[in-house]
Amino acid sequence: MAIVLESKKLVKTYGNLHAIRNVDLLFKDNIIYGLLGPNGAGKTTLMDMLSGGLFPSDGTIKVQEEVLKKGDTPKGMCYVREKNIHFPRLKVSEILRVASPFYENWDWAFTKELLQLFDVNPNKKISQLSRGAQSLVGNIIGLASRAPITLFDEPVLGLDVIMREQFYNVLLRDYADHPRTIILSTHLLDEISKIVEEIYILHTGSILLNESMEVIRSKAHIVSGKPAALKDFLSNKNILNIENYGNIEVASVFDEISDTEKRDSQKLDISIAGMSLQKLFTDLVEGVRKHD
Amino acid sequence: MKASFDEGQPIFQQIAEMIEDGILNGTYEEDGQIMSTTQFSNVYHINPATAVKGINLLVDNEILYKKRGLGMFVAPGAKAKILSKRRKTFYHDYVMKLLIEADKIHLTTEDIIDMINNGLKE
Repeated sequence: MAIVLESKKLVKTYGNLHAIRNVDLLFKDNIIYGLLGPNGAGKTTLMDMLSGGLFPSDGTIKVQEEVLKKGDTPKGMCYVREKNIHFPRLKVSEILRVASPFYENWDWAFTKELLQLFDVNPNKKISQLSRGAQSLVGNIIGLASRAPITLFDEPVLGLDVIMREQFYNVLLRDYADHPRTIILSTHLLDEISKIVEEIYILHTGSILLNESMEVIRSKAHIVSGKPAALKDFLSNKNILNIENYGNIEVASVFDEISDTEKRDSQKLDISIAGMSLQKLFTDLVEGVRKHD
Repeated sequence: MKASFDEGQPIFQQIAEMIEDGILNGTYEEDGQIMSTTQFSNVYHINPATAVKGINLLVDNEILYKKRGLGMFVAPGAKAKILSKRRKTFYHDYVMKLLIEADKIHLTTEDIIDMINNGLKE
């Protein structure tokens, strides 16, 4: 698989503030990625740099194997910002007309379908739309552009659960028909855990974890049992967090647990369950905070 | 078919098991076509690559085969293969759990055998 977007030792500082510290990223073609992190982790700063809108303090970005220089607009990339209010007085239809020529794969039939699906009135001005509907206009551009690299920054912010589902559905459907690299930043982790193939977790400007969702699903466990038995069972495992509730302890574990070990656990009265992405994320971030 | 996936096990494995269940219960017949990866992706809201991985697992195990341009089909002998595999894991997956739980609540082997016999009569 070809690498379509990468960064090496990317740094962004504002005076003494280190917004992004030495971030290496690698995005391959035709994969959906999740860029996850708590508020203030640097997700938007990172996306601004990847799309050429913000120049890094240090490090390099390559788009389709070409180094991104200051002032360059990367080819074949569509970046849907979290705040899409640059032209509040334009109508939705005008925004779409302005945006479309930048993307060679733009599909007008799909655009119309999306307007109907998301119930967005093309004759309304951007400033008249709700926060959710503004997100949707950005999402329509991101989807209809069919750009080989599409970045969505918090695409479901302000959307109700039904609209979020619609967005994920149409994204997956269109991705199946027109594979491309899609990067979604979000803090709604469990919603996107089935949508994305690989994730980056960003925390205070650094990458905490880069892993495929399949590996995460096979490694992220909640293991509980009596303290002594648990300590023995987990002696060589990567434990993220352990909580004591008197006679029982509950551990978050990020490690493989073999079938044999699972069988043994039954005899030891140890229970093993899967851990959600949300819980893994919280424990990873909390673990780092404690060390700081 | 299940409506959601369990945490703690890769989704592609769960997709593969669902297809196997479909073959065992006759939803899919040998040489019959199964759902496409796009359909799996739509129905279960999963990344299409995940569905592809689940199906490929079964292709590797010769449970499914591909007809170019048409889709995925159930291989002849697939059912027998799945039966044999599942019978091998039945002891660990079901019987051992049963025995451990029985021991916890002080049921004897005879009690269990009685339950099984009575259960089969119902």
